[in-house]
Parts: sequence; C-alpha cells; structure tokens
Amino acid sequence: MLRYILLRLLLLVPVMLAVSLLVFVLLHLGSTDPALDYLRLSHIPPTDAAVAEVRQALGLDLPLYQQYWIWLCKALQLDFGISYLTGRPVLDDLLYYLPATLQLGGLALACTLLFAVPLGLLAARWQGRWPDHAVRAVTFIGVSMPNFWLAFLLIALFSLWLGWLPALGRGSPGQLVMPVLAIALMSMSINARLLRASLLEASGQRHVTYARARGLPERRVWRGHILRNAWLPLVTATGMHVGELIGGALVIETIFAWPGVGRFAVSAVLNRDFPVMQCFTLLLTGLLMLCNLLVDICYAWLDPRSRLQGVDA
Amino acid sequence: MKQSSGTLKSALWGLLLVTSLCAHADRAAPTLVYSWPVNAGPLDPRGYAPDQMYAQAMVYEPLVRYTAAGTVEPWLASSWHVSDDGKTYTFTLRDGVRFSDGTPFDAAAAKANLDAVLANSKRHRWLELVTTLERVEAPDRRTLQLFLKHPYYPTLMELAQVRPLRFGAPLAKPGEPVGTGPWQRVESRLGEFDRFTRNPYYWGAQPAYGEVLVKVIPDPNSRALALQTGQIDLIQGAAGEITASTFVRLRDQGFASALSAPLATRSLAINTGRGATRDLAVRRAINHGLNKQAIIDNILYGLEPRADTLFAPNLPYADLGLAPYAYDPALAARELDAAGWQLVPGASVRSKGGEPLAVELVFLGTSALQKSLAEVFQGELAKLGMQISLRAVEEGALVSRQREGDFGMIFADTWGAPYDPHSFVSSMRYPGHADYMAQRGLAIKDQLDQRITKVLASTDPQQRAEQYRFILTTLHEQAVYVPISYLTAISLRRDVVDHVQFGSTLFDVPFEAMTPSQEH
Repeated sequence: MLRYILLRLLLLVPVMLAVSLLVFVLLHLGSTDPALDYLRLSHIPPTDAAVAEVRQALGLDLPLYQQYWIWLCKALQLDFGISYLTGRPVLDDLLYYLPATLQLGGLALACTLLFAVPLGLLAARWQGRWPDHAVRAVTFIGVSMPNFWLAFLLIALFSLWLGWLPALGRGSPGQLVMPVLAIALMSMSINARLLRASLLEASGQRHVTYARARGLPERRVWRGHILRNAWLPLVTATGMHVGELIGGALVIETIFAWPGVGRFAVSAVLNRDFPVMQCFTLLLTGLLMLCNLLVDICYAWLDPRSRLQGVDA
Repeated sequence: MKQSSGTLKSALWGLLLVTSLCAHADRAAPTLVYSWPVNAGPLDPRGYAPDQMYAQAMVYEPLVRYTAAGTVEPWLASSWHVSDDGKTYTFTLRDGVRFSDGTPFDAAAAKANLDAVLANSKRHRWLELVTTLERVEAPDRRTLQLFLKHPYYPTLMELAQVRPLRFGAPLAKPGEPVGTGPWQRVESRLGEFDRFTRNPYYWGAQPAYGEVLVKVIPDPNSRALALQTGQIDLIQGAAGEITASTFVRLRDQGFASALSAPLATRSLAINTGRGATRDLAVRRAINHGLNKQAIIDNILYGLEPRADTLFAPNLPYADLGLAPYAYDPALAARELDAAGWQLVPGASVRSKGGEPLAVELVFLGTSALQKSLAEVFQGELAKLGMQISLRAVEEGALVSRQREGDFGMIFADTWGAPYDPHSFVSSMRYPGHADYMAQRGLAIKDQLDQRITKVLASTDPQQRAEQYRFILTTLHEQAVYVPISYLTAISLRRDVVDHVQFGSTLFDVPFEAMTPSQEH
C-alpha cells in the first residue's frame, strides 16, 4: 500500500511538468499581449516604446522556449514569478489567499456530506413515498440552479429582505453561511441523488435478498450489506466534487467579496496575469491529484478488492 | 545595559500608549465606507498598476490642481511664473506644508521627486512633459524651477495629473506611502480593504471624516447589494462601478444620486485608410445615420449627454460651435447615392464598382454595453444599405487592433480630463494609436500632425486656439469619429453622507469634501 502511495506521489512530477508546459503554451498562443493589458491597467497610452519597455520588463521579449525554461528553473525553486497585477511574488499571493478558499471549500465539503448522506438515505429508505418525493424535488432544484444565481437569491432573501446575514466579506461566522450554501447546494444535491440510486441498486442485489432470507434484522442488512457497498460511488463522486467546489469558489468568491484564491484567479484571468494563471493551474492540478489519491486510499480501505489490486500493482 | 533596556521598555510602552490614543481618537471620528474592485496597491507616487489612481490622489498632491473648468489652480505651488520663451517654469511653493510623517515639503523634496522621474524617464516617457523636461533646480527652500528643452504649453496640465509628477516624502521607505495629501493609508489587508485616516499634518482644512475604509468588492452587482444592505456608504466613479440599469434602479429606490459634468467622450473611430470608410461620404453617412439620442435614452438610460463633437465644449479650446451631424437617414442615403454607393434592386447592401459597402465594427466582447451599442449600430446602418459585421474581441486584442489599424470602426473613447484635449491630440501623431491609424488615410494627415506639434509648443494662447480650431474642425468635417455620448461619473449614496462632490478628472474622488449627514 505504501509503495502504491509513493508511486502515485511520484507520478505527480511528470503530470505537473506536462500540465505546466501545456498551460504555458496555451496561454502564449492567444492573440492578446499581457504588455498591452499592463499598460491599460496603468492608464498608459500603448505607444510602441511603452509596449517594448513593458515587454522587456516582463520578460516577454524572449523566445517562448527560453521564457518557459527560465520559468521552469525558477519554479523548481518555488519562485513562480511576480504577478503583473499586484507586483508581488505569485506564490506569496496564492498562499495568502488559499486559507480563505480552503475554509470555504472545506466547510462546503463538510456541508455536502452532512446533508447529502441523510437525504440519500431518507429517499432510499422510503422509496416512492413522500420523503423520497420531497428529497428528489429539492435535489432536482439544487442540481438545476446555477450557483451564481443562487448566491444572489440568498443575498436578496437573507441580507436585503430579512436582514439576518451580512451580504459580503469575511470575518464573522455569519459571513460564511451564504457562500458555503451557494457552493455546496449543487454537490449536495448530486451526492444525495447518487447515494439514493446507489443504495437502491445495492438493496436489490442477491446477497441482500439472501441476508434477508437468513432472517437478519433490517437494520443489520442495511448497515452491513447495503450501505457498505453503496458508499463506493459516493466516495468517487466526493473526490470529483472537490474540483467542482473550487470551481464554484471562483464565481462565489467574486460575488461575496470573499478574499480567496478563486477571486484572485478570476481577476488574473480577466487581466491576462500569466504568472498567476500558470501557478494557479499547477496548484489546482496538484490539489486535485492529491484528492484523487485520497479517494483511492479510501476506496482501498472500503473495498478489499481494490486494496489487493493495489498491492499487486 | 539593564538600565538602558528598562528605558527602552518604558519608551516603547509610552509609544504604544500614544499610538493607541491616536488610533482611538481617529476611530472615534466617523468612517466613510467606499468600495473598489482591487486593493489600492503599494501607493508609490510614481507607480503604475497595481497602484490605484483614486488612492494616489488621496495621498499625494500636485503643484497645481486641475479644475472642472479645464484650468489649473495653485495647490502645493502658491504661484508660478513662465518665462517669455516658455522654457522655464518657476514655482513658489506653499509655506508650511508637511508630509504625513511630519517632515517638511520644500523645494529639495520636490526636486528629489522630479529627479526620480527623470532618472527613470524610460518608464514615464509616455507623458510628453517627461521627455520635454531637461532639469529641475531648487535655488531656495520655496522656489522650484523646471527647465524645458522646448516650450510645451500643457506643462501645468501634466503637472496636475495623478502620476507620476506628484510628491512623496523622499526618505519614506518603499511600500510606505507618505504624501502631503489629506489622507494617509494606515492599513491594507489584501483582498479585503484599505484604511485611510486623516493626515495629521495636512496644510488644508481637515476632512470631516476621520477615516475612509475602502472595501475590495470586484463585482458591480455585489457592490450595489453592499450599498443596499448598508455595508458601504457610497458608490462613485467613472470606471463602470455599477451598470446604468442598476444606477437607475437604485436611484428609483430612493438612494441619493448625482451625475458629473462630461469627463470624456464615448466614441467610435472610423478607419480612413481601409475599405469603404476611406470614402468621406460613407463616414458622413454613418454619422448622419445613427439616432444617438434614441440610443442614449434606451441603452444608456439617458444618463449621458449626447455628444456632437469629439470633445465636450466644457474642455479648453473645444467650444468651437461646430455644426453637429444631425440624425438624417434620408440625407445619409442621398450622400451615399451621390458618391456612387448604389443599392441595386433586390439587394440589401449598397455597392460601388463591385465593392460592397461593408464595414467591420470591433468591440469589447466582455462589455455588455458595447455589445448592445454595436448591435444597434448594425441595425441602424443596415437600413442605409451598409453591412456592418460585428467582431467581439478581448480587451488586449482590442488594443492590438487599435494599434495595428485592424478595424473598420472601433470603440475608442477619449482619455478624459485632464488628458483631453492636449495629450489625446498629441497621441494622434504616433503610429500605434487608434487615432493615428484611423486618420492615416486623410490627405492632410501630415499637415494635421504638424499643426499638433505646433499647438503643443505654442506660447501664444491666441495662436493655440487657432491651431486647435483647425485640428478639431478638420477631424469633425472629415467625420473621422462618431462621438456618441459624454462619459460622466456616477454617484449613489446612503443618506448618511452629505456634500458629495465629483473630482475634476476621471480618477479622483474628493472624500475630503464629504461630510457625515447631520441626521445621523
């Protein structure tokens, strides 16, 4: 198992390299020139001399392969360059904003699991009856509603009309409620529906019928034979939802003026801040790969078959 | 050693007590809460992005200040004298001015700042004055002399700009903004806010507010909600702080609102060097074919005055009484017919000698406003038999196309006060500007450029006015631009703020003039 984890961690290196190269090339293939964006943000007329000056200052006048090589050599020493927008080291900025995003994402993930599991269980246990219908209706709305729209609806309801919660910013627990809900609702709804379907599928398996035939109490059948098998798709989905939660944070942080890495990345994208985009993509790749690894470890723990496969590998 | 450590400890406690008392005194004064899409930046007096100009204008002051009338008034310089040859400017500095750290602002400090600009002139050469300035002298404590290589009449205007010719304390540490302005930045939390308090040494009247808290709110809709929920007190600016429809909605809900005088011109530049728009008749038809008032009423919610000329008449040298291109589709059609652009029966697009009357209109794809305007232009001009193809591009690509002249028509607003008209007109001479590229097809382009060079070096106001009359009249008659509306700054506030005023440029917000409402 340890060997498997080490192998997976080693795999991070070539994947990150490939991603960095791909992102670097894609960013520079675009028709826009970051030097022009820099001048626009600075309210400096883009004369030829001014553009040449900025291109030289930002290192954009070098051939692309040379730019990448310089970037890579520095990145290996954890120097991801200076943000065109803030003028600060990129890694410093991203690490400054990361805790706020992790707080939001972590709470949204906890919320997702906290609500998705009971809702999925409720719907599956009382399939075809009113709790099932209610859960399906709620989760249908949750899946269909874009998070940015939900965010504005929440602000309108809880801040404008009721005045219960602060609309924007970070600092008090009340400021967490709406952004967490806006990010978590879709993942929560998907997971609840997935768990319901998975539970229903597992409860129709022959070994469950056999367990019931043996006269096992219903609670034991559910706990030992249905739930155990139904967890697996949920674990996979949860791993995938980490990416969705971070993706959701990009929009939600902007709406709620939440000082997180998502909002910082959005402003970098809008202003062609290449060093930030490059570093953010790598950070996200690493984070998602680690999440996938964590999911696989959970899988191995829950399912002896995959554990044995992992050992064989 | 022990004794000195004890003394040091006492001194530190004393300092802490004084600091906390000062901080308490400031906190006790009312706070004005404003918002901006990003943090104010490190606030170097000569810095560009990420330094925000509204914040630089709060902390740093110019020698002379630009007024809403398009003139300059004494500021850190109480008076000035220009030599007869227009090459030497002698300023008498205001007495008793101090930086926010208590050090005096004198000619030596001013010279140190201007020398720093000259030392890094490559970075600042976009400003004509920097390339024109030969040297700076400080013969005594209150006298500052600027020696130019050649006469340059907009010298005072350019000294009034927010950057790079304002003054920071020469001995301030990097990243510590120390200016002479009414405010000092005391705290900045990345992604959250910037806090400004009064400059205790300010030479003018102390602001009524004790501090200005500027929250970082990037999204315009969130900003509107923040005003509605009382998380901010004021929305003000000319950089699209909120959309026109949101402004109207909040105004109708009872928020106090105001619009500034014209600060710049929202306009389209027409390419005289490429395609069908080389023909003056086509450019004139475009100007006559657009119902600007209807466009302003329906798309801009009537918030901006209609623009009939490239510069608003309230700008220096721009009140020339030029005859506007009236909305007259019939006249436009007649002029096109006369120029040989015929609409053959059954066709929807005019043509001349086999060349269809097609024009590419380039706009910023991320701007809902430009998209709406472009679609209306397309519809209106189609009625005249013009085929307008719309090209949505990113912001960087828009600037690229402006620089390369890769457009039929393109959105190209003027730079606004205090750059208009002199800096804007000056840029028309340089390849790489949308205006140069738009004008390069004119037969008298060379003559225009010579006139612009002359007007900038002119020392006689009468002659200058004549040169401007020629330049602006020619551009108007040649229909190089479609002025749409005059951009204004908007202001919305909760009833806790009084005496809200607009700055005289696009970039400053005069917080120091605002007062807390008496009712609160």
